[in-house]
Amino acid sequence: MKTFTIKSIILIAAISFFQNKIAAQVINWKNISKQNKHLLNVNVGAEYGVTAGLGYHHLIPVKKFPIWIGGEFSTPGGNKPADDFKVRLGAQIKIAAFNNFQFSARVQGISRRFQNQSVTLFNFGSDFAGTLGYYRKHWFLGAEAGFDKAIVTHFKHSDWYKENIYFNVQDGWYEPATGGNFYYGLQGGYSMKKVDITLKAGKLLQEDFKSQPLLPFYGQLGVNFRL
Amino acid sequence: MKKSFGIYLAFIIFSVFSSSCTKERYIDEPGNLVPKTVMEDETLPSITVNGAKLHSEAFGPEDSTLIICIHGGPGGDYRYMLNCKTLATKGYRVVFYDQRGAGLSQRFSKSWYKSQGSDAINKIFYDELKGVIAHYKIAASQKVILLGQSWGAMLATGYTGKYPNEINGLIVAEPGGLKWDDVVDYISESRSFKLWSETLNDATYIDQFMTGKEDQHEILDYKAGLMGSTNAIVGDVGSDLGNNAPSFVASRSGAVVNAASYELGQDTKPDFSAGINNFSTKTLFIYSSNNKAYPDSWATKISSAYPNKEIFKALGVGHSGMLDQVDFWTTTMEPKIISYIQSL
Repeated sequence: MKTFTIKSIILIAAISFFQNKIAAQVINWKNISKQNKHLLNVNVGAEYGVTAGLGYHHLIPVKKFPIWIGGEFSTPGGNKPADDFKVRLGAQIKIAAFNNFQFSARVQGISRRFQNQSVTLFNFGSDFAGTLGYYRKHWFLGAEAGFDKAIVTHFKHSDWYKENIYFNVQDGWYEPATGGNFYYGLQGGYSMKKVDITLKAGKLLQEDFKSQPLLPFYGQLGVNFRL
Repeated sequence: MKKSFGIYLAFIIFSVFSSSCTKERYIDEPGNLVPKTVMEDETLPSITVNGAKLHSEAFGPEDSTLIICIHGGPGGDYRYMLNCKTLATKGYRVVFYDQRGAGLSQRFSKSWYKSQGSDAINKIFYDELKGVIAHYKIAASQKVILLGQSWGAMLATGYTGKYPNEINGLIVAEPGGLKWDDVVDYISESRSFKLWSETLNDATYIDQFMTGKEDQHEILDYKAGLMGSTNAIVGDVGSDLGNNAPSFVASRSGAVVNAASYELGQDTKPDFSAGINNFSTKTLFIYSSNNKAYPDSWATKISSAYPNKEIFKALGVGHSGMLDQVDFWTTTMEPKIISYIQSL
């Protein structure tokens, strides 16, 4: 009985779903101004684990198509806080607007690390997403869909792994791409003068459109501070 | 400033991708992240049984009492049971085999397992065990003793219940459950990791680094192996095989057979205790003190299915430690098993 079970997967998914814990910066495009060009974000949620994150974005006010550029850092739960983490750098841009409906796109480069007693992984990836939403000054609601690709990954196995599991395991950079997951879901939020409270939740699906990650949902509860 | 930043960024990107392009390594290529199976490595000991090429070997006099070692999982391998090899020096014929789809045995697609229908457990596992026994049994009078651990104990029990007159002794070490509801309860208890725990988050976090399609065995087996090495709840700390270990380390999980088996279990709700009431020979039932998911009350409940049994509590070891800790094996378990066999 050395592996996870369907029941465990359901349990993990149910806990994450019903706790409404929810992951990347959610922006109210209708509530931005040239006076508040800095956006700080703190969040907790579930994204391939129970996570906590920090983000910073800077507004480049290009007339009708404002761009937020910045980055986010997140780490999952566990008693070794620095062994796993994810850093995303990129931009979110408003592409089209019709009355209160707006369509925006997000393009991010990702670097992330995973470590357990067997292996240390370091990966470079990308994240492309689109969001179509209805935005008002004090609230917004939207639907998002995106693709997270693990482009190239470095594997470095521990002595323990080589002594106990597989002596001839090959360390080094693995390519072509080692993985990819689609995600889709809903996001929304309530905006006050300089603070947004945001929520998003959705589902994850592996690139074969059939398999699911062990934790097949994501979610994030976040707070934006506009400075 | 902007120019120097651009040069720096270009250097980093060039460094990463030039180093990554020096030699292409595929995560789904046998031998890279997981060892090759008997299908790719002809030097591995193997037998062909019931339409599958199995990683298998045997030690001891060919015509003496057979002790068939049945590993856990589904989807484990026999490597952690190799301390049992010393029974060969005591005059027994000790047989090891990796079940179909597990360890270094041949892989099959998930759809193949699912296509076996309501009689899948019988067609996949019982018929395979029957074939293994038939392969190594060279005389009608040769006695057969099954020694199963965890899932292997469930399988051994189910097989003995089905063929009670063909088995001369049964040793079961912590079968999780015999009726399906008990199996599910035990699994839930033995995998009840805390939400914020390192173990649980390690298990889920890796899914963004590598993904495998339904039948990409190399990827799925690798990920399963990363998760299943140790488990504090059941008291597993990693195997200690001493001189019984093979000269090289090559262990591999069977993720597809594992997932397919659980799905088949959910669909068919098998009863591994069926027919065991017809097995009147004494069964040696072993459980461990360090497995928090297997308290005395659980051992009493599960062992109640065996009409004639001797219950033995292994002190100071966990779920796999009964067999995979060389000191405990030498001082306690091997003498206990020999004593049991001699009492039959």
